[in-house]
Amino acid sequence: MSVTDICHRKKFLAQGNIYLPHIVVIDKIVEETPSVRTFHFNFKDEKLRKRFTFESGQFAELSIFGVGEATFCISSSPTRNGHLECAINRVGLVTNALHRLGVGAEIGFRGPYGNTFPLELMQGKNLVFIGGGIGLAPLRSIIWNVLDNRDKYGKIDIIYGARSPADLCFKYELASWSQDKSVNLVTTVDKGDKNWTGKEGFVPTVLEQIAPSAKNAVAIVCGPPIMIRFTFPVLEKLGFIPEQMITTLEKRMKCGIGKCGRCNIGNLYVCRDGPVFTYAQIRNFISDEY
Amino acid sequence: MTTKKISKKDIGKLLEGWSRELTVFVPSKDKGVTEMAKWDGKDTGFLEWYRNTVIPAKSSFLPAMEKMFSFQKNNDGYHLELSPDQQKRIVFGIRPCDARAMVIIDKVFTDSYEDPYYVSKRKNTVLIGLSCTNPYDSCFCTSLGVKPAESADVDLMFTDIEDEFLIEEITDKGKELLAAASVVKKATKADDAKAKTEKAAVSAMVIRKLDIEDISEKLQACFTDKDYWEKVAAKCVSCGVCTLLCPTCYCFDICDELSKKQGTRYRSWDSCGFSIYTQMPMENPREAKWRRVRQKVCHKYEFYPMNSEVIACTGCGRCIRLCPVNWDITQILASVPAEQPAKK
Amino acid sequence: MEQELRKEARKLLEEGKVDYIIGFAPGSLKFSTTPLITEEKEEIASLVINSFVVNNLAKFLTEVPGRIGIVAKGCDSRSIVSLIQDNRIARENVIIIGVPCSGLIDIVKVEKLVGKDRDEIDDIALQGEKVAVTVGGGKTELPTKEALFDNCLSCEFPTPQEYDILIGEPINATCNRELGQEKMKELEGMTPERRWEFWKHQFSRCIMCYACRQVCPACFCEQCFVEETEPQWVLPVPKWQDNLIFQVIRNIHVAGRCTDCGECERVCPVNIPLRSLTKKMYGLVNEMLNYKAGTDKNAPPLMTAYEHEEAKDLIR
Repeated sequence: MSVTDICHRKKFLAQGNIYLPHIVVIDKIVEETPSVRTFHFNFKDEKLRKRFTFESGQFAELSIFGVGEATFCISSSPTRNGHLECAINRVGLVTNALHRLGVGAEIGFRGPYGNTFPLELMQGKNLVFIGGGIGLAPLRSIIWNVLDNRDKYGKIDIIYGARSPADLCFKYELASWSQDKSVNLVTTVDKGDKNWTGKEGFVPTVLEQIAPSAKNAVAIVCGPPIMIRFTFPVLEKLGFIPEQMITTLEKRMKCGIGKCGRCNIGNLYVCRDGPVFTYAQIRNFISDEY
Repeated sequence: MTTKKISKKDIGKLLEGWSRELTVFVPSKDKGVTEMAKWDGKDTGFLEWYRNTVIPAKSSFLPAMEKMFSFQKNNDGYHLELSPDQQKRIVFGIRPCDARAMVIIDKVFTDSYEDPYYVSKRKNTVLIGLSCTNPYDSCFCTSLGVKPAESADVDLMFTDIEDEFLIEEITDKGKELLAAASVVKKATKADDAKAKTEKAAVSAMVIRKLDIEDISEKLQACFTDKDYWEKVAAKCVSCGVCTLLCPTCYCFDICDELSKKQGTRYRSWDSCGFSIYTQMPMENPREAKWRRVRQKVCHKYEFYPMNSEVIACTGCGRCIRLCPVNWDITQILASVPAEQPAKK
Repeated sequence: MEQELRKEARKLLEEGKVDYIIGFAPGSLKFSTTPLITEEKEEIASLVINSFVVNNLAKFLTEVPGRIGIVAKGCDSRSIVSLIQDNRIARENVIIIGVPCSGLIDIVKVEKLVGKDRDEIDDIALQGEKVAVTVGGGKTELPTKEALFDNCLSCEFPTPQEYDILIGEPINATCNRELGQEKMKELEGMTPERRWEFWKHQFSRCIMCYACRQVCPACFCEQCFVEETEPQWVLPVPKWQDNLIFQVIRNIHVAGRCTDCGECERVCPVNIPLRSLTKKMYGLVNEMLNYKAGTDKNAPPLMTAYEHEEAKDLIR
């Protein structure tokens, strides 16, 4: 996968300034878990609402004016327009401030930034989506993108896990995918509760049990760094080569466009050369820098 | 190219002429530290004491603190207002190392997306270089392809030839600026020859040397050598001096300031040496000091060249002069193992 | 003295009494030294003691693991004792190699007095009451009083108070406590408005490099208050107000731990007179609470204990 040319995306720059956010308004808030909420929002500017488009895998910088800016992947699919969705985990200054906002609040939006999931590479192949916790957010965008064009892809396996049943994100999506006969969904939790009937175990362990075939397949992994680090060796064991393993990474970001310097992994910047990478690209640095 | 010259005593007149239309920045001590500051209109004493400023010339283009935009919450929502800096300026006296540094970091601010604040400052500024006459013992510019008394990275280059400066017009911007200056005369062949000797003499005064051959490959080979990097990082105290005052370091932080319903978004200098630089909610990949030190060295001498074919260092020596514990990059780079360490 | 130091340090490593030795080695610039942190016997040969051993090595005690043999001047040993009081290090894990110190040469003062930068000076030698400075063959003699650091001039504890091994003979404190006080007197003589303007001007050039905090042994917090975001006390933007707040709060936080070693002022790249603040705090702590940092390893840290009688004055 090569570095995508991102110059053509300048068409969504507010007043031509790369740091100036557009104003978006929160439409709807969905409670996912005790600490995660999905915000549905739309551009205040009517014209932009119609024009705006993005591709799965890209992220945005959301601003709470006066508090700060933070990076969130866009977890809605570009095939389902009308609004944008970001899943936000309440962990710090900006995310706490976001959680205090209600419907109708105005925030800033800069984006879409970053590269995209390589849909052309994935077409005609069997897809194995592996997600952990809030890592399902970017995967959700690509999963709906794929399901909305189902006949272009082969077998689809989704393996998703969280710490506990309460921490499972997008429960309504999981319900919908488990009904979909063309998808094999396996959910697992680290520790179940008395009502839990699904699997128990860490995602990499469950992945090894399910053992999806590496033949004509592409694996797409997203989750906490420790999960990613343990998933790659399992995939290698199952016969996946580094070029067949795709992941989307997360690092502390500020500018989102490769200028402020902080999100680098080796010579690659997660915001500019990523966040979507193949394992082959980051293999040299992943164990040490991520 | 025809060269010109000016007598040192006429520098004041030259700057005065320019300052009628443009803001002139010169080396200054007024604030308590040497930096490029607005000329007070009369003092040219800096010609005597100036060796190099502590605050690098990048502060004229990427200031330590910069307003990005202001925001205001009205009844109908948020309004954002830009205040771009359109001041036309001259930076007089930039040294070749600092000028080269600007060219090196230009790539960051124009690549893929153009940074409006930096780029507009660069467009609206004329850089006038001044040759070194007295390099520090910590300077090592010559090892990085920078010559202390000559530069093609500026608009006009002033070379010190005793009582006068030889002036070379490097760009059209510089030529235009010089055109109206009446105190500037044509240089003679003797002046040219004098300048040539002077340039070579000053280059020879740079005694600190650094071998950068294959440095990128060498660093790649020892990237995972924890023991080596722990030893290298042992005495570093993780302050930000070397990075904040480095002319080729450009990392910045963005934050908001709020006062009732209005505020400003600022950007400010940041450093990969700080432990919170890569802090994430659940973990920090560079919590250990040796990882941060490795990042600084490898970013400048391995990653940056991998992305843009130029080492992000110009040998100005500030990091060596100002480091609280005398951590010396030239010593570190000389100690990088030549071969891959044996796998344990 | 250097020979004795190297012998003792080497012995400590050879006998397995310490895992690391922390001391001073020659620096890469003229008149500079650099900290040496090593477990290799061969590197001990580069240990030095001279008039330029400025660093407060106690800083490294909270980072370097295991048992440590550390070279300590009088002021450094007090920082070590202060760390022991705060339970940051265990006394039995440190072997203090005390080095009595008659004062260190402030290279900035010498540069100002001879009008040349340090790399243009050939030699600086402390010779009792005089400092001989050689520039280009010509020699100038400066009175030692004018070439030492301000805090060395009024040093109360030139011989380490706490040590396991002492190199050389103890030195008595003969320094005049009135010396090195010019800046303080000037500030105390100002009106509050004038003083506010003075500090506003000083902190306008602070770039928030945090060198002052990082070299300070008393600043050992794993997360400094400036790094907090909820709530956010100071922005990471170097506005003079935030710079000033940072320094004032830092001084309050290290009150009773600060030994006035002067490192903060020495390392500041933009020449802010930080010691004027630390010295004032040091004086206040002494006046109000009769306490000098790092002089008694069994005393509780200053701000964690009080006598019943004090409560009436302090807590209102």
